[in-house]
Amino acid sequence: MNLISCRNTLVIIALAGIISGCATRGVKNPSGVPVTELRPDERGFVAGTGIESQDLVAVSDKMVRSILSTPDIANAASAPRVVLDPVVNETRFPINKEIFLSRIQAELNSRARGRVVFLARDRMAALEKERQMKQAGQVTSSSDPNVVEFRGADYFLTGKLQGMSTRTSGGTSDYILYTFQLINARTSEIVWEDSAEIKKQGLEDAAYR
Amino acid sequence: MLVSRAKPIRSREIAASRRSQASLRWSAVLLAGALALMAAGCQTTPAQPRLVRTGNLLVDGPNAIQNGPARDRVLWEYRTAAADLRAGDFARARGYLDDALQSQDLAFGKNKGARQARGYFHAEAKKTFLGEPYERSMAYIYRGILYWMDGEPDNARACFRSAELEDSGAGDNAYAGDWILPDYLDGLATYTLGGDGSAAMQRAQAAAKEVKLPPYNPKANTLVFIEFGPGPTKFATGEYREQLRFLVPHSPVQSAEIKVAGLTVPVAPVDDVGFQATTRGGRVMDHILGNKAVFKSATDTAGNVALLGGLGTAALSRDRTAQGVGLGIALAGLLSKGISAATTPEADTRAWDNLPRYLSFASLPLPPGKHTMTVEFKNAAGQVVSNLTKTITFETRGDGRDKVLFISDQSKTPQTV
Repeated sequence: MNLISCRNTLVIIALAGIISGCATRGVKNPSGVPVTELRPDERGFVAGTGIESQDLVAVSDKMVRSILSTPDIANAASAPRVVLDPVVNETRFPINKEIFLSRIQAELNSRARGRVVFLARDRMAALEKERQMKQAGQVTSSSDPNVVEFRGADYFLTGKLQGMSTRTSGGTSDYILYTFQLINARTSEIVWEDSAEIKKQGLEDAAYR
Repeated sequence: MLVSRAKPIRSREIAASRRSQASLRWSAVLLAGALALMAAGCQTTPAQPRLVRTGNLLVDGPNAIQNGPARDRVLWEYRTAAADLRAGDFARARGYLDDALQSQDLAFGKNKGARQARGYFHAEAKKTFLGEPYERSMAYIYRGILYWMDGEPDNARACFRSAELEDSGAGDNAYAGDWILPDYLDGLATYTLGGDGSAAMQRAQAAAKEVKLPPYNPKANTLVFIEFGPGPTKFATGEYREQLRFLVPHSPVQSAEIKVAGLTVPVAPVDDVGFQATTRGGRVMDHILGNKAVFKSATDTAGNVALLGGLGTAALSRDRTAQGVGLGIALAGLLSKGISAATTPEADTRAWDNLPRYLSFASLPLPPGKHTMTVEFKNAAGQVVSNLTKTITFETRGDGRDKVLFISDQSKTPQTV
């Protein structure tokens, strides 16, 4: 190596150093990210191994289709009255327990066109108060307020979420079994049951393992 | 004539040689400047407003969460949530824990900060802090207590299950998922919800070993979570501070005693957070940091050898080509030492430093109505540490919903919940 080639090498290294040293620090999305609207049944760019909206949509859609094809519902002489009983969560993920049944109820009301009637048991306190005001004559009434007209349930719709989770240096795996049941309120018979299962796995960066 | 012609040639050679040497000196200066810029370019972080600490975590925490580096957000949320729990601000603790746990749950796949932390030229502390397994477990345990406080034992149970899962990746299987209290509470929640709960109770008993855990009391309506003692912190050791270690300070408090409604209930430690921190086993990141330390050492040694050898060659040789080569080798050595200096194998010692040392629990059957509870904390000799005694006033209702109390030796007193 002579002095000139040595000098040229140094100059190249120096220029590379200057360029890399002065390069703008990489900033991801420096201008931000505009609001992105996603379908609730698609997997977004923010995801974990827990219960997410796409699972809620997929599971509740499957349950609605299954309920509507049940003979006790499809062939009922009059619309059966259904009360929601909160879902039991046995997974490792804290969830809003009402959300599955809320979506199933909304979808059934939308698609069943009167073949199923849900009773608003979660509004009983307000309903009782209204009835008492009618009985006291504080508000008008279109029927005799002393006659009990609150309907009893023909069926209870309920469900259970159960999970199996594994965590090793190879990643985290979560399996969740969603089971829903329609229970005859008079006989305690389970007239319909269906399930869905979802398994997810993920691996954290080695810096976290 | 020949002589007269030879002299200009000789002087031209000398002049050319001087220009070359000057050029080389400038190149060396340029190289040094470039190295400095490279180092600066690699090290610089966006200017953050300097955080002014008041020493009050309830002020510093929200300030750091709002204005501090994003990579430390979860760390400050953990710390502030613990401080809020002790101050009785459960709503704010809930919010911080939810945000921190969401960050934990979504930490899969590519992560720029984590990738950089694995690189040779970025410290591990460059990654977004999520905490070691014992810290993540504690976040879930605290959130579980808050869910139970809100009348959601099934979501509390979910948190206790996640707390155990966070601990299940321990290097030594003997210490995997060996928290006692989360399993015990998992079973209790199941029992409260009408289930059996015996499987979780058996796991808790297995982890507790010779200590006999109390059976679930069907009449208990008041759950008391107690924590005491200073928790573990982290430090780095090794030639380049590449090894993560845990410091578990001595706890002046070793037990507690609850006095309420004519009952006196001794409370012994159930879980030792220091034990959980120190039995985690090796991390994948430890290997990465070890490799970084080896790289730093090797490039430093190579730099020393090249620098000394090159400078020695340049100084001792009378041949200009050999001098140039020697100088080139010396510069390569300098470059190697620069690379070594820029390599950062230091372990990340950011820690949730206001965790307790011991966790404990008691369930009490209390009649409906207003109660005032006194919790005394005791040292190893069984004497009451007087300045730590807490008083809490609360009301139990006969509606089947558990009254959940959280008491730390650092809690404010008196409290009404």
